Amino acid sequence: MVLAGGEGQRLHPLTSGRAKPGVRFGGTYRMIDFTLSNCINSGMRRIHLLTQYASTSLSRHVRRTWASRLSDDMDEFVDFVPPQRLFADRWYAGTADAIFQNLFILQEERPECVVLLSGDHAYKMDYEAMLAYHLEVGAELTMAAITVPREKATQLGVLEADDKGRVVGFLEKPADPPGMPGRPELSLANMGVYIWSTSALAETVSTDSRTNSAHDFGRDIIPKMVQDGRPVYMYEFMPAGRSPHKYWRDIGTIEGYWQAHMDLVAPVPELDLYDDTWPTYTYKPPLPPAKVICGQDFRQAQVHDSLLSAGCIVCGADVERSVLSPSVRVQPEAVIKECVLMDDVTIGEGAYLQRVIVDEGVAIPAGYSIGANPEEDAKRFVVTDGGITIVPRRVMFE
Amino acid sequence: MEKLRILVIEDDDNQRELYKQDLVWVGYDVIAVRSGQEGLQALREQPVDVVLLDIAMPGMDGIETLGKILDYDNQMPVILNTAYSSYKDDFMTWAAEAYVIKSHDTTELHKAIAAVLKKRGIQAPPEPAEASE
Repeated sequence: MVLAGGEGQRLHPLTSGRAKPGVRFGGTYRMIDFTLSNCINSGMRRIHLLTQYASTSLSRHVRRTWASRLSDDMDEFVDFVPPQRLFADRWYAGTADAIFQNLFILQEERPECVVLLSGDHAYKMDYEAMLAYHLEVGAELTMAAITVPREKATQLGVLEADDKGRVVGFLEKPADPPGMPGRPELSLANMGVYIWSTSALAETVSTDSRTNSAHDFGRDIIPKMVQDGRPVYMYEFMPAGRSPHKYWRDIGTIEGYWQAHMDLVAPVPELDLYDDTWPTYTYKPPLPPAKVICGQDFRQAQVHDSLLSAGCIVCGADVERSVLSPSVRVQPEAVIKECVLMDDVTIGEGAYLQRVIVDEGVAIPAGYSIGANPEEDAKRFVVTDGGITIVPRRVMFE
Repeated sequence: MEKLRILVIEDDDNQRELYKQDLVWVGYDVIAVRSGQEGLQALREQPVDVVLLDIAMPGMDGIETLGKILDYDNQMPVILNTAYSSYKDDFMTWAAEAYVIKSHDTTELHKAIAAVLKKRGIQAPPEPAEASE
């Protein structure tokens, strides 16, 4: 079951009018592709996507990408599960409520275990290996965890585990994250990858439904299970595929989204999109190859440390450490640095963009500058504390 | 002292009447209705202390009614009541606070009502036989 129903406030305005897991990522992918590819590559082919906000484009993408890869005859599927409003007459009030409202699915299918995932994380992971561990230790809940620098754990769930891997403490977004035994500079962070025994999942969300909590796994359910001494275990994240790097990133925030793109343009990225032993699937539209050409007077285009998707044309411009989605046009003498340009964006002649995310279909006028003067930018656009500017869809330029 | 109020939602006329007479005899104020819709309406019209809910009902069944009751008031103690012991295997019923198998002997029912009231710090009325001792 993939939780894909968040409103995506942390990624606003990129989530304006579209579901967060459907947001473009890495040039040709959508966020959800990483989780779904991990499922398919792990042999898990019965998938429920719990959605609720603006999921039309997400639905189209999932159908195009996944319908042909799964077999109805083999009872394989990716099903969309919006709030049914039958068992409870409300939208999903939290992650646990999303499961509670869909207990009928678990009742019908009666699986022994449920793999519970998020649709806004970028990583490569074999869930089957984690499932084997979950069954071996006899856990009610197994949580995947990754070591992160302690100072970066303040925005994550942090686990404390004993030497047998049993979780003995859990804090959601602690101001002062606990360090690991013998490694005080590191913390164990919750990746939002869970394997549940089905009955424990059904019981905990049912009990939680009768409280006035936030109905959230990280804030309510897991701390209570740990506090009650129930068998909750930690599974240390091992990356799937060839890359030895333990790469996992929450791409559901503007900063995380942008940083993950900068990770991808590294000469040897830790998240290896070129590793065909653990492919990341997506829908590829029928577009011509990307093209890089000289401008007038043979001004050469300079493109380096960048991803160019199909259908892009860079003409006599400079593109550096940037990710271009399909059908982007960059006109002569434009300069693009550390930018993420989504589908059908056009950058006018001589424009200058640095650390900017430009949403679909936006045409940046010739000579326009964004990123050089954050105070001026903040009058027109959202600028994050980290200095990332977002140019939303349908923006009007004077 | 004001009587504690039990809402009985049961489509079977005989069973509903049996519960009503029995619970009134014990000392509860009882509202007895025949469907989930009527039960939800009754909940909105007056305060209720405990709901006794049948599962197998025509139209809106007990599972759907349970969801809608908890949607209205997620603290409401709901005791599910059915003829089949296997219903405990149904995840959809796990949000109920207690389960009682249908029977003409209402001892278990009285215990279940007393237990859910006790969790809320409310004393159930004593059984009439005990009261007369």
